[in-house]
Amino acid sequence: MSNDTEPAQVSSVAAESHAGACDAEMQLLEGAVRSLPYHVVKELLSVGVCARCVLRLFGIEEHIYCHSSFSQSMLGSILEEETSFKSEVEFQFCSVCLGVLQFSYCDDGEETVVKKESAKDMALSIAELVKQEGHQIDGFSLEVSVPPLILENESSLLSHMKKKYESEPWFQERLLSKCHSVKDVLKFAITKPLETLLGVKASASSFRIRLTYTHKRASKKVQNSVERNQECKRRKTGTENALHNVNDESVIADKDCSGYSTIETNSVTGIFSNGVQDQETSEHFESPIEKVSEPCHLVYVCCRTHIYLCGRYLKYSRNVSQTRWIIDEERMGEASVEEIIGSNILPICQGDNYKFHAAGREDIDVRMLGSGRPFLLEIQNARQVPSELIVKEMESKINGLENKSVGVKNLKVVGSQGWALMHEGEAEKQKQYCALVWISRPLEDEDMQTISLLNDMKILQRTPIRVLHRRSPLEREKIIHWMKIERIAGSSQYFLLHLCTQAGTYIKEFVHGDLGRTQPSVGSILGCRAEILQLDVTDVKMDCFVTE
Amino acid sequence: MSDDMVDRTRKLEETTVSNSLHEEEEEEEERPVREKAEYEEEELHKLLVPDVSQLPPTPPSAVETNFVSYFAPDFMKPGNDQYVYRHANGLCVVGLASTHLAFKDKGGITAVDFNVGKSDRSSMKVTGKRKRNAQHFESNTALCKVCTGDDSYVVRCCVKGSLLEVNDRLIKQPELLNSSADREGYIAIIMPKPADWLKVKTSLLSLEEFKILRELC
Repeated sequence: MSNDTEPAQVSSVAAESHAGACDAEMQLLEGAVRSLPYHVVKELLSVGVCARCVLRLFGIEEHIYCHSSFSQSMLGSILEEETSFKSEVEFQFCSVCLGVLQFSYCDDGEETVVKKESAKDMALSIAELVKQEGHQIDGFSLEVSVPPLILENESSLLSHMKKKYESEPWFQERLLSKCHSVKDVLKFAITKPLETLLGVKASASSFRIRLTYTHKRASKKVQNSVERNQECKRRKTGTENALHNVNDESVIADKDCSGYSTIETNSVTGIFSNGVQDQETSEHFESPIEKVSEPCHLVYVCCRTHIYLCGRYLKYSRNVSQTRWIIDEERMGEASVEEIIGSNILPICQGDNYKFHAAGREDIDVRMLGSGRPFLLEIQNARQVPSELIVKEMESKINGLENKSVGVKNLKVVGSQGWALMHEGEAEKQKQYCALVWISRPLEDEDMQTISLLNDMKILQRTPIRVLHRRSPLEREKIIHWMKIERIAGSSQYFLLHLCTQAGTYIKEFVHGDLGRTQPSVGSILGCRAEILQLDVTDVKMDCFVTE
Repeated sequence: MSDDMVDRTRKLEETTVSNSLHEEEEEEEERPVREKAEYEEEELHKLLVPDVSQLPPTPPSAVETNFVSYFAPDFMKPGNDQYVYRHANGLCVVGLASTHLAFKDKGGITAVDFNVGKSDRSSMKVTGKRKRNAQHFESNTALCKVCTGDDSYVVRCCVKGSLLEVNDRLIKQPELLNSSADREGYIAIIMPKPADWLKVKTSLLSLEEFKILRELC
């Protein structure tokens, strides 16, 4: 674009290329530009600062220059015109924001430089990604992270301006007011067009759109301040990776900014109040900040934070384990509760992955009946959050499977508080069981009396032999709250033992005694040998995940 | 209809009249909560009661179900018959087989002493999942001494491995050996390394082979 256009022609060019922008907005912009000290703006432009950075450094409100259809070229030419500045090159990446506010970046996949003309165009590619991924959303939250180099540039530039122009009259009014951060300006610029393209509002949403800018080059300033900050940060965050890489320039700059948040916030909010930082950056800034030849690398992703489905599961089979159980590449049992539930829910939510969590567990050969066991299914990056109706369909589907080994009750979507609900008081909760027991002599009425009189009986269990290989050898005291014998018609030595015990009690070992390592045991109480043939969990006494 | 059923029907009618805005289907979901709970109890109970005709008169014992039994006849000394029960997780329970010489003595076993060799086996404390402080013993290392009225016999590991536990109940109740040497009278639990187990396994007899040897069938 040629540089010796007259002011009158600038307006018409602007009007041509941005039919959407109405006159009122253009006037606001021109008015704001005219209020700036020309010589300062000219100097900024000459050291390669882009138009939006110039405007934001002076604290001009974003809505004035962040209209979604205002283009680079338009903004640039307005500023140049007002200040009679002639730039030597056609386009140059901003020496402060490294192209971020010029909507220019290096594409992640193809490594090509992309230059979007306006915020609208930028928003378009992001919206494309969201549509491609197939997300069903009712809102979005936009997150941006920029490399520390940008803030370093900004703080040294501001520091230089302070030194040079402190005494001038405009300085008191202008620079002391907040200069808007690159992140805020970028977010402001693309949020509205994104809202329009996606048809939803920006809000605190579980659906996140994340823009991560990184830059290959790390300035010496970054290195020094990183080293200095590492000493006090070592105790705070323990970011050991950063410590090891202090001397590796390229790695520091490429890292995501999470470890450097301290530097960022200081620069943006309190640059002049933070004396130390002021000193150190002005020491290093002797000449204008360096111009850059390449923009930042941008990676933009969108994903949904985990959604949770909770409920209670029942297990009717004695050959289905709770979770996937594979030894030496061979599956134990014919299926797992985890996979049956997860594989039927994941595709409906169109998620990437699922994780199954339950409040306790039962052996593969133990059925889970009655009220069911509380569980939580975590779905990662769901493209669709199921509605109440769809959740009911999921429940019916699982309960209607041909292989009726698993059932689900009270299935519903729950927030992250589901975790706390499920684990609340897990260790104190009581469990109720029904065991099929055989004894070595006929059952007497006296036995039924003896058993039913035992309430809150303490037992001592040494770690059962069957788990001793992977658990600590300990002696654990457990409580058997109550027991009841139910005779079985047609048998004198078999009976059903109903019992309610403290969480963590090994029932099988309580029946057969585990070679005398559980005392007392059913056998020792009845004075004979006792064996357990079958065990069922009939109630997990927890309040969570029940119908209201 | 019986009185009970008349009452139930009347209750049903009452609730459906009062819930006139709701669907008046007479399905389980519409019964009062109490009845629904009873119904669920019944259904649950049906699942719990076994089919008696399918139950064996004498079921296999916990040991038979969970362990594979091996035998070491005349281990280190004639008459010293010991068993090794191996669990699927690799742990081995060792003890005296019923044919051990000690049981032939009048009065049976009267005392058990774990203080043999260099240390008192009953005093060691194994801790943690990794079983720290467990002593590593050879198959011929002495575990304990078993005394009868006439004689005393040394019981050895039979399996090379880490000693996880000794049955210290035998100290106060040596009679456990007389009544149930194959269960509550076990001597110790040992954890062999997989390679060590494979080696010793070749020298042990299966239950069948042992029965034949000792003519126990």
